[in-house]
Amino acid sequence: MTDNDVIVAEGIVKTYDDSGVPVHAVRGIDYTLEKGEFTAIIGPSGSGKTTFLNVLAGLDTLTEGKVWLSGKLISDMSGKELSDFRRDHIGFIFQAYNLFPVLTVEENVEYVMLLQGVPPIERHDRVMNILEKVGIAEYANRLPMQLSGGQQQRVAVARAMVSRPSLVIADEPTANLDSNTSGSLLDMMRRLNEDTGMTFLFSTHDEIVMRRARKIVVIRDGKIDGKPSSEEIQ
Amino acid sequence: MLLKLAWRNVFRQRRRTILTLLTMTGGFFLSSLSIGWMDGSYSSIIMFFTNNRTGQIQVHHEGYLEDPSIYSTISDYQMVGAFLDSIPGVRVWAPRIYSGALLAVRSPGAGSGNVFSNSAAASVIGIDPAMEEAATDFSDRIVLGEMLTASAADTSYAATGQIILGKELSIILEASVGDSLVMLSQAADGSSADRMYVIRGIISTGNADIDRNTCYITLSDAQILFALQGKVHEIAVMTRSLGAVDVLTGDISTGLSGRDLETDSWKTFAVEFYNGMKADEAQLKVTIFIIVLVAAMGVLNTILMMVLERRREFGVMKAIGTRPGFIVRMIVLEANIMGIISVIAGSIISTAGLLFLSKHGLVMDPPLDYGGTVFREMIASITPECYWIPAVCVIITASTVSFLPALKAAHTKAAKTLRTV
Ligand SMILES: Nc1ncnc2c1ncn2[C@@H]1O[C@H](COP(=O)(O)OP(=O)(O)O)[C@@H](O)[C@H]1O
Ligand SMILES: [Mg+2]
Repeated sequence: MTDNDVIVAEGIVKTYDDSGVPVHAVRGIDYTLEKGEFTAIIGPSGSGKTTFLNVLAGLDTLTEGKVWLSGKLISDMSGKELSDFRRDHIGFIFQAYNLFPVLTVEENVEYVMLLQGVPPIERHDRVMNILEKVGIAEYANRLPMQLSGGQQQRVAVARAMVSRPSLVIADEPTANLDSNTSGSLLDMMRRLNEDTGMTFLFSTHDEIVMRRARKIVVIRDGKIDGKPSSEEIQ
Repeated sequence: MLLKLAWRNVFRQRRRTILTLLTMTGGFFLSSLSIGWMDGSYSSIIMFFTNNRTGQIQVHHEGYLEDPSIYSTISDYQMVGAFLDSIPGVRVWAPRIYSGALLAVRSPGAGSGNVFSNSAAASVIGIDPAMEEAATDFSDRIVLGEMLTASAADTSYAATGQIILGKELSIILEASVGDSLVMLSQAADGSSADRMYVIRGIISTGNADIDRNTCYITLSDAQILFALQGKVHEIAVMTRSLGAVDVLTGDISTGLSGRDLETDSWKTFAVEFYNGMKADEAQLKVTIFIIVLVAAMGVLNTILMMVLERRREFGVMKAIGTRPGFIVRMIVLEANIMGIISVIAGSIISTAGLLFLSKHGLVMDPPLDYGGTVFREMIASITPECYWIPAVCVIITASTVSFLPALKAAHTKAAKTLRTV
């Protein structure tokens, strides 16, 4: 493990067992994600992409294995530690945008900084700055409902990045968007990755998205497909 | 932020919020009115009962209440009265003598001979006309004839005395104003007491049991008849306010200590009446409890639905690092915002309702009967209890009922809820 590793995963296994029938969603993965990567996890539906991202982000517990995030072993953290860790180190982008419907664009982006206790003036500056970058500044006072899907997802990107996390995780961020919108969203994310050096890890089964990734990891049946585990495409 | 989130969440499901607000406001209104109405009824019943008859406080010779013997007297009642006059909370006091006698009516047209037709046993109460009038508005209840007078003639044993009969007693005796009767009894010194009386008035107290066997003569007549010069059996004390009775009773008791006297409040000497009131109070508590319970169920239902609907949102909050405590506080705050709005709205409409009930009252059908005294109309009183009790109920209900759903929401599993199916 080096300082340059954002994620180090060792022998991770996730077996769902709520229904009595065990489902082996992740069957033993070793994985390292380095700082500044812009990596797509691809694979057919049900191959374990969501499960993989969830256990890496500490949203779900592991059945076996260890995960270090920014050098911290998260698989041993308590609920509260993990919650604070996610707040400070991971930005999330969801397929269904999942902005808070009662908060304006500006307030949605501000939310995590409020939890972090960032002072108001700094909060405002950082919100406006990131909204400029994602091209939504003019809609700062709108409610999410009043924006298109693509615009909402840009707000979600802003919300994920504004707290300056070590890693932004996005599970099928374009699944609800048309191809044009998907393309421009990914272009924007890639530009942010290049400008800020922020690390991105996202899952997709969308061609348009894959083409814009700098690295691709293929998952099949809960395992990383092929050796070496990641393939440089650009 | 917490407040902003909670406030906006309250108003996102407008229709449901309005329903919840109506439930809580309705609960507030009903409890407030019940309390105001009960409070009003209590004090008016108690004041009516005590002001018309017993007074709120009574002084007797020690042991008189358990064993009301003719010998058990307050011997220096004028001194006790002077002491009572010196206490600011005391409005007036009235001395009384109690005894029993046989009344026999002279047949009309019997000439000068003593030919009696009807007779009856009765309680005789000796009253000071002026003081009794000041204390209990005695003459208001005289339905025929006049009030007793305290003339000099009273002091002469030979002269004919004056008497007032209870209405039912006058019917039994077939006697009316102007008729004469003879009273036969025994005096405290053991001598036989008998004397002629002219009926001056007929009284109807509203309590037929009392009116069937009670007659009233002047205190001085009674003192002569029963050989109780300077003595009385009871001093009834009228206070200025019901709320001060317990304290006043203590003060008077202390002031009169060492005289073999006892001082009691209406709660002691009218114990059955008091217990009836307390039973009603218990009933009021049950009523309020049921109102609160019904309202609480409604609110619980809303909050459970709300928590269920917003599961995904809680999942997102958890995923991006919101601590469970924040979510709990947000939801409890949402319930309390609704609670506070309901308290404000409830206070306004309750005030309107209470004002109406305090002017018009409710007609009781069937009428309430407390110890033989009948009440046909009940009037509400507006007290602080009408507001703070329902308000506390609403806020406590909102907090308790939202707490468990809030805990549930706070422990939403992010990974599970966020899964798009
Ligand atoms: N909570 C769960 N309980 C049982 N099985 C689950 C659960 N969540 C996902 N799965 C199963 O795990 C496998 C991997 O799912 P998922 O990680 O969602 O794959 P992907 O995101 O690649 O579509 C699938 O077979 C899915 O049905
Ligand atoms: Mg998935």
